[in-house]
Amino acid sequence: MILPIGPIHPSLKEPLRLKLKTKGEKVLEAEIDYGYVHRGIEKIMEGKPWQKCIYLAERVCGICSYEHTQTFAETLEKISDVRAPLRAQFLRVITNELDRIQSHYLANSTFFKAIEHETLFMYMLSQREHIMDAIELLTGNRVNMGWNVIGGVRMDVKEIHLKQILEKLEAVEKNHDRYVGIFENGPIVGLRSKKVGRMTKEEALKGRAVGPIGRASGLKHDLREKHHTYCENLEFKPIWRKKGDNFARTMNRFNEIPQSIDLIRQAIENLPEGNIRSDVEIKSGYGEWRNEAPRGEVLYMVETNGNLIKQISIRTPSIMNIDSCAKYMLKDVATVTDAVATYATADPCIACAERVAILDMDKGYDTYKLL
Amino acid sequence: MFQSLKNIVRKSSIHVCIVNCGGCNGCDVELVALFSPRYDIEQYGIYIHNNPREADVLLITGAVTEQWIHNIKRVYSKVPEPKIVVCVGNCPISGDVFNQEGGTVHAPVSNFIPVAAEISGCPPRPSEILNAILSTGPGAISNRGRERK
Repeated sequence: MILPIGPIHPSLKEPLRLKLKTKGEKVLEAEIDYGYVHRGIEKIMEGKPWQKCIYLAERVCGICSYEHTQTFAETLEKISDVRAPLRAQFLRVITNELDRIQSHYLANSTFFKAIEHETLFMYMLSQREHIMDAIELLTGNRVNMGWNVIGGVRMDVKEIHLKQILEKLEAVEKNHDRYVGIFENGPIVGLRSKKVGRMTKEEALKGRAVGPIGRASGLKHDLREKHHTYCENLEFKPIWRKKGDNFARTMNRFNEIPQSIDLIRQAIENLPEGNIRSDVEIKSGYGEWRNEAPRGEVLYMVETNGNLIKQISIRTPSIMNIDSCAKYMLKDVATVTDAVATYATADPCIACAERVAILDMDKGYDTYKLL
Repeated sequence: MFQSLKNIVRKSSIHVCIVNCGGCNGCDVELVALFSPRYDIEQYGIYIHNNPREADVLLITGAVTEQWIHNIKRVYSKVPEPKIVVCVGNCPISGDVFNQEGGTVHAPVSNFIPVAAEISGCPPRPSEILNAILSTGPGAISNRGRERK
């Protein structure tokens, strides 16, 4: 029997359709239908100056919106052979890590909602609000910040705000270990998460899983190791696990949060004086840049003609993660509720994933599949 | 008497369904933040469970993409009376940045279904969303219930 879940479903935040092939309660296979939020961002960007495109890049995805603007800015900086001033680079690190913490808390809260653990769900969201406050102090907005520009950042940070951000981080750290303990040692949570939705290292390689999902299956792949700000100025070691089940993925995200807090502390301690923005004359050419978003690798391929964007192609991590989730994690899951929980641990972000829509022009425009 | 009792009950228990019809999910994240202990949407008797067949308020985010042109009407018709629609964010109002040459969005949402309230912002703050639901929801739902009789 084929059981459709979505596009509007209590446990899914965003529209997407899971088709589960079931036998009784057991899930044998899964298939995923995309195409509900394709807006045509790449096409809109063509022929527009970067001042307009950077806002579009921000709205590729609402959860990791910051990383998209940073990658877009760094691609154009690479084409023009400049680097942002050191102070701007450090401020970018701080915002990037704050964004990663809030995204990880949100992802874990979705998983706890899927396994009906309301207490941890509420704890995660209340922790996340501290981080959202810190982001607002730094950039002036909660979700879409509009903070990056080519060659630096838009605003400088005040000493008092840095102090308040450190206080917020302390408030987060105070309770973090207790919440991880509830998850790690709870017997019911263990039953729902250990050995469920397993993905081996070979399967993760085949499915091109990236980010915390790949790292939980044993792929030691973290692009922050190769980023120039991280390797030259900050101490950093990727966290990874071997088991590749729901427990490992959730724990991997939990363990990356203190690491991000540590990186923010390092950046605030060593924050250099100087400019926050340099003048950049954008050259014509082609450039690529990869960055580690909360969900994994983001790749921007941009071709410019002076100030204008000639062509742009964006690859986001979610598309690989959702695909490997459908192919490998949802294979032979014991129950349908576990399948939904497994899908939640893959941290899907549909708005990121929708870059292409295929239309059959011979049969007309209405060939999208109906609900 | 029975109807007025029904209205009192309806005012204090509003069921909400979120429909993302093609946005950047920034607004959806702010809607999830409404669950958090700081805003605590459930203390006002509002319950978000994403099932159109049980909903009183339909919260719409996102500019309408190609697939949603038919489906937004179908989802709306599944919601039982009395019902209202609240649009969250700039996308359902004007299409925001996606409503340009080359984009495949069909904003505004009010072309397809009747809209009761609109909250602008990209995205609006959770407190603003809460305020809009509370100021339009209870009154509209109880009045519609009376009209139908």
